[in-house]
Amino acid sequence: MIKLKRLRRDDSLGPLESVLFLDFIKGLTITMKNLLRKPITTQYPKEKITPPKRFRGKHGHFVYDGTEPPSLQAIQGFMSFEKGKSRCVACYMCQTACPMPTLFRIEAVQMPDGTKKVVRFDMNLLNCLFCGLCVDACPVECLTMSDIHEMAVYRRSQAVIHMDDMEKIGATNAKTVRELPDRIWRNDKERETLWGKVKWNF
Amino acid sequence: MNDMIFTAIVIAVKILVVLAVTLGLGAYLTWYERKFAGHLQARRGPTVVGPFGLLQPLADGLKLMTKAPILPKGIDTKLYYMAIMMALVPAIMLFAVVPFGPSFKIMGHEVKPIVANLNIAILYVFAMGSMAAYGTLFAGWASNSKYAFIGSLRKAALIVSYEVVLGFAALSVILLAGSMNVFDIVDSQIKSGIWYIVYQPISFVLFLFCLLAESGRVPFDIQEAEAELVTGYNVEYGGMKFGIFPLAEWYLNVLALCAIATVLYFGGWSGPHIFGPFSGFIWFLVKTFGLLFFVLWVHWTLPRYQAKDVVEFAWKYLLPISIVNLVATAFFVYFKG
Ligand code: SF4
Ligand code: SF4
Repeated sequence: MIKLKRLRRDDSLGPLESVLFLDFIKGLTITMKNLLRKPITTQYPKEKITPPKRFRGKHGHFVYDGTEPPSLQAIQGFMSFEKGKSRCVACYMCQTACPMPTLFRIEAVQMPDGTKKVVRFDMNLLNCLFCGLCVDACPVECLTMSDIHEMAVYRRSQAVIHMDDMEKIGATNAKTVRELPDRIWRNDKERETLWGKVKWNF
Repeated sequence: MNDMIFTAIVIAVKILVVLAVTLGLGAYLTWYERKFAGHLQARRGPTVVGPFGLLQPLADGLKLMTKAPILPKGIDTKLYYMAIMMALVPAIMLFAVVPFGPSFKIMGHEVKPIVANLNIAILYVFAMGSMAAYGTLFAGWASNSKYAFIGSLRKAALIVSYEVVLGFAALSVILLAGSMNVFDIVDSQIKSGIWYIVYQPISFVLFLFCLLAESGRVPFDIQEAEAELVTGYNVEYGGMKFGIFPLAEWYLNVLALCAIATVLYFGGWSGPHIFGPFSGFIWFLVKTFGLLFFVLWVHWTLPRYQAKDVVEFAWKYLLPISIVNLVATAFFVYFKG
């Protein structure tokens, strides 16, 4: 049972409180405590916080490497996949789910043997709002989002990512993230230095 | 003749020292305040430029000076420039009556570490405090902007109300000391061995409120209320022209008023002789910076009053209290002293 502590405060202060500035003093003690405390600043370019597991950063494509879900295994005969390359099937579900569908440029061609090959998968991340709907929509667990969040670029054209970039991310960052346990902070030590110990109310 | 040359040299040296120290200190107080404010909020403050960010004021100054000068449209150019000086000069002039320590002897002459040993020093402080309002007013009027104008009007209202309280608060100390000369005030405290804050705690609290109000510190910083007025009267200034205003108001003014408060309530340079010959000077600085620390502490803790409340507070509560305190002191002095 969670106990609620209700704070009540009258509009006017009591006579003792207003004469002796007790409320001022209360505020001043709080800041003084902070002054004696260690700063909690993360000095950004020098130190970086690891983003949480469900962080939605730069997009990636998981590659065709034998970890496919059954939905893909059922149709992989119709696709011309290569090992270590994107496992996208160009179903356009991600584009359909996206609130800003025009940021995708997906093209697929039919190979001479009748299989399908995805030749282009570009995303203009300037238009992306990192909602993650595209990831949820992907039926073959291809599209994913990694923990990469430092995405500043010098030109607008550099903000468009292509299939090879996404394959790289899928094979590295996104893969590490996928293998993590599903929790906010990767390790408790890091979290506790920032936010203190959390007591769960089970 | 020899005497006159000596006096002239001494005064010139005093002025130079006071100018150099106060302006340098003013610049470094920005560093101190940022560091302090940072740690009050569990941040770090400046750390990058130099060790502990100690070169930050220089970097800031350089940055402000190299900014492109921008003049807003429709300003009153003469007043616009004059306002800067009108803000800075009274703040520096306040230091003329700050006694930095006990008098000492150089080559048989008695030298007092004060630029102008006026016999109406406290009155002079009030005068300069009111003069500072003109800088703000001119800045607000000349820059042809509603934010600046509202800010300067607020500051004018604030100064008018708090000058009165400041006067009455300091008057009770003057009654006790029987003089307006800063040296006499300190001497009488040293002689009786009791600082005036013991006799006049109420007056000290009132003085502190006025100090905060006059120098535009929280909780009375309605003239620059960032949330509603952007930054108040200096919003249309840029570069070093902007830098002067906070320097004058937030640092020099506060420092000078803290020094005056030290003289009035904390016995100036009195204190045990534990630092050798410079003991007096060091005690004075320690007390002044102690007060300054408190002012910054309050500034970075409390929220801001509403504009109407600030002036109401002064006229309805502080002024009656200060008058009652003054009358009580007068009776005390008449019957006991
Ligand atoms: S994260 Fe949202 S906005 Fe970005 S591509 Fe995916 S669905 Fe579209
Ligand atoms: S939903 Fe998945 S498989 Fe379909 S086009 Fe998008 S990334 Fe490729």
